[in-house]
Amino acid sequence: MESETMLCTTDQCVEQEPQYTHIDRNEFSQRRHKKQEEEEILICECKCDEKDLESACGERCLNVLTSTQCTPGYCPCGVYCKNQNSDMVKEERPQITRRATRSSALAKSVVEETDTSSQHPNDASASSDIIKEESPQISRRTTRSSVLAKCSNNVVEETDANSQQQPTLDDLVIGEGESFSFDDLVSSFPGKESQIKELVHLLGPQNSPMLPIFIYGGSSTGKTSIVLQTFRHLKRPFVYSSCLTCYNPRIMFESILNQLFLHRKKAENGYSSAKRCERPSDFVNFLREALVSIIGNPQGQKSGLSSKRSGKANGNMIYLIFDNLERVKGWDKGSTVLSLLFNLYDTLKMPEVGLIFISNTSPDTYDSNMGYVEPNPLYLPDYTDDDLGQILMRHQANKKLYTSFLSVVLRPFSRITRRVDELSSAFSLLFRKYCEPITDLGVFPNEEMKRKLFSQFQPHIAPALNEIFKVSTQPSTEVEARERKPKVSTRKSRGYEVADQLDFHMSTSAKYLLISAFLASRNPATLDASLFDSTGGSNNRKRKRKVSEKSMEQKETAEQELLIKGPGTFPMERLLAIFQCITSVAEDPLDDEEQAQDGLGIQDGHCGLMSDVLLQLTSLCGANFIVKGGSCPLEGSTRYRSTVSEDMALQVARSIKFPLSKYLYRR
Amino acid sequence: MGRESPAEKALILLRTRLCDPNFIFRPLCESSDSNYSKLKFLVSSSITEACNNSILLLGPRGSGKIAVLDLVISDLLQEYPDTITVIRLSGLLHSDENCALKEISRQLCTEHQLLFSKMASFDENSQFLIAMLRECGLAHKTIIFVLDEFDLFALGKQRLLYNLLDALQSVTSQAVVIGVRCGSAFGKRVISRFSNRKLLFLPPSKEDIQRLLEHILLLPTDSGLPTDYVVEFNTKLQNILADERFEEIINTYLNIDSTIKDFLRYLFRSVSNMDLQSGMLLLENFKTALSNIQRHPKMECIKDCSILELYILVCMKRLEVKEHNSYNFTTVMKEYKSVHDSFQTSDYYAKNVCLRAFEHLLQRGLIEFIDNRGQNQSVEYRPVKLLISFHQLHQGLKSYRSCPAILQKIMDREK
Repeated sequence: MESETMLCTTDQCVEQEPQYTHIDRNEFSQRRHKKQEEEEILICECKCDEKDLESACGERCLNVLTSTQCTPGYCPCGVYCKNQNSDMVKEERPQITRRATRSSALAKSVVEETDTSSQHPNDASASSDIIKEESPQISRRTTRSSVLAKCSNNVVEETDANSQQQPTLDDLVIGEGESFSFDDLVSSFPGKESQIKELVHLLGPQNSPMLPIFIYGGSSTGKTSIVLQTFRHLKRPFVYSSCLTCYNPRIMFESILNQLFLHRKKAENGYSSAKRCERPSDFVNFLREALVSIIGNPQGQKSGLSSKRSGKANGNMIYLIFDNLERVKGWDKGSTVLSLLFNLYDTLKMPEVGLIFISNTSPDTYDSNMGYVEPNPLYLPDYTDDDLGQILMRHQANKKLYTSFLSVVLRPFSRITRRVDELSSAFSLLFRKYCEPITDLGVFPNEEMKRKLFSQFQPHIAPALNEIFKVSTQPSTEVEARERKPKVSTRKSRGYEVADQLDFHMSTSAKYLLISAFLASRNPATLDASLFDSTGGSNNRKRKRKVSEKSMEQKETAEQELLIKGPGTFPMERLLAIFQCITSVAEDPLDDEEQAQDGLGIQDGHCGLMSDVLLQLTSLCGANFIVKGGSCPLEGSTRYRSTVSEDMALQVARSIKFPLSKYLYRR
Repeated sequence: MGRESPAEKALILLRTRLCDPNFIFRPLCESSDSNYSKLKFLVSSSITEACNNSILLLGPRGSGKIAVLDLVISDLLQEYPDTITVIRLSGLLHSDENCALKEISRQLCTEHQLLFSKMASFDENSQFLIAMLRECGLAHKTIIFVLDEFDLFALGKQRLLYNLLDALQSVTSQAVVIGVRCGSAFGKRVISRFSNRKLLFLPPSKEDIQRLLEHILLLPTDSGLPTDYVVEFNTKLQNILADERFEEIINTYLNIDSTIKDFLRYLFRSVSNMDLQSGMLLLENFKTALSNIQRHPKMECIKDCSILELYILVCMKRLEVKEHNSYNFTTVMKEYKSVHDSFQTSDYYAKNVCLRAFEHLLQRGLIEFIDNRGQNQSVEYRPVKLLISFHQLHQGLKSYRSCPAILQKIMDREK
């Protein structure tokens, strides 16, 4: 179908290069494709006779009678099955070529359509003197995750080489060619020497079996990179799969099997996996098969090695590495997968297999009702301040200058977080700030200069501490914005940074909507009537407060409850009612002097206010200011909740001069 | 690869031994009242007498039930070649009866060189099984079903177990069903069909451990290693084994983990610490292995925390002491603020910074959300709970390198 449409359009716009994306199958906007489970496949009971092909899945076929299509590969009639969707039958697609003239194009395409012999694309384009069709560039991916790209800088070379040659067992080794000594390994990970030694000890000498290892430690303590670099040093074959990228059991199983079967997804095999594998039982069977074939004839595999590649797999052990294991806990049926993985060593009973688990959380968080023999724990602690300094010093041009910078910032910042990634991103901006007074970045700072720099830099530290995790959308403007912010936060004794201006733009009606959502979430629904009566409700509020002051204890528990429960939910009707009230109050010129000033502006905008308010609501939902909650079981309508903090709401109210505090019910 | 040093060779040998359950359990099977001989007697008698039988192997995880069973089966396979077919199922993999029957037929097919079809339906597979049982019975061949993780087969409808045991009683067949399990709860329907034969696997005794140690760690003289090296190694090892300190170390370990698998894990750890230069096992290796294998994950987590994270932990603990039965980030923040107000600490940070620290704590597994519902509620309001005890936190703060004195003071006061 697609090829036809393409043929029609090609001659209409020969000059212009049309943009097409090839889709393999229909994509429905309203529903998603459903994956057929192996258990759901219906198998008919037809018996096919080789001589009488009409007997295969004819009118008496169970599946035909129930209007079900036979699944290829499962139907007992096999290739003779006639109960197949016609477009499922694979046929040679005609080669699409672009012609100079219309008539020749037609003639040629007809020829090609009739001639179903598989003409190689290159031959086709070579034989015809026409504009070559832009074939979609297939980016060839390595089977490893991108983590490895960091460690081995010859991944690109590897993939290029592999496109020609048959993959071998040696592809499971990284960092071929160069030797990588143990000292290099240790020096690239400051403060982790004893752990690396322990890991190497546990892995043992070549060809020595090992019990499963469980490596754990906080985020960014170098778990994955230490393991991968150690394997690079040892040059042993391994299979790496991260539960982060392989986000469900099936993908994980298939990725492991693909790597073991030395199978690469590419266009020729339709980007399919080596084995279709969903169930743990199939996985174990396939895994055993793959491991036996690899361990059984490593020599045979190696013989096909090209002379250029010097990185040979050392030993006959195969290591399976499971990264980000803590993710599995959140999976559907995660506990069964976990107990499968932890018991894999005992299930396989193959001493040539080493299992390594890498996890964020300690082994005691993996409690399961099944239980398992715990793997050998190996703990990677967080970096100490000294290690942090060493790590941050790497790749710095001017080490002296950076040392003086670190001596100022590292101590206060490491009180907040000790994660390298967060610190380095925070410091990269601060360092620029620190260097501002210096013109020459290559200068070696002396004591006096350090003091000067420090005195200039000091006021920036405290506010920066409170912004450490702030994600800046525009890093270039961040530095300028910083200059303004310190003043604000020094004025506020709390250290909360409250900028006077809003740093985003929003229409007036959206602001009103935001405020009404905030009010609806904060105030109890029973008080709406008294708060939003014609007078603005300020008198009522005073009376209320006196009542609540009578019992302090009650007040405290109510306050506690508010903190626990968070903002309440509200139906849309209530939101609209409040919205109407506050906009009409804002219009009222008698209400407040301040509002009278820009009352005109609001009135102008008010005509269109109600019409697109629902649209505004959806865009506020999209911006995460308002969250759509579950529907109320009694009313059945969707309920909303505002996520805006009070500071932010006050800020918004100030920007449109709306007296928000007057309407806010305080307990 | 002849260039390995004797030390390396010895290390590989020891590691191979430790990873080979057949080697480990062999000496424990010698005595006549061991589980090995009982099991072997039961199975072989049902082979010779051509009857159905079922046995249950019970014992804590890692006590070597499967290993002993494997030994028995491999011995019987040698004794009675061509009369035994072993079908192995694991509750972890085949608890779904559809899948289990498929696996049974697959294994039967490969064993008897039949063509296995993955398209066969549940019904066909169960018919095939019954037919095979009958055929084997007629040919005086025994099928041994090994059901690992038996508990999981006994969950749910137990259709597989029921079908299997039912088939055994109705068909003239010759089969042994061996269940291997660690738990204890049981369904009535299954137990009525299962015979009462049970074998209990107990943790190893002191003598067993001593025997195991010598069996595993002493190097053999006929393995191609230089004789003088083997002699030196063995004498040194004997000295260590006789040492009182060594006994103490082993006892501290066994007090915590007492199954054989745990013990092997510990030995593995000790052996892999062996110094390849000297090529000797030292008492030090056993000591470091003990400290490496017995971790205190929660304490380590506390040590890894930043000071701000410690503040949040202490605030949560304070809330707990005040008997607030449920709290979330906002209440913790309120507490944090009150701590700051009353003690004037230097570490007072903005809310978003604290929220990030809070998320770090969640990642570390020191705190967790009470319920998994409320996904649309933001993190600040979801109720959380502490996963460490007062004592752990107190100890953690004490051992922290540069714990602020104020935190210590607060904790001491709450006591």
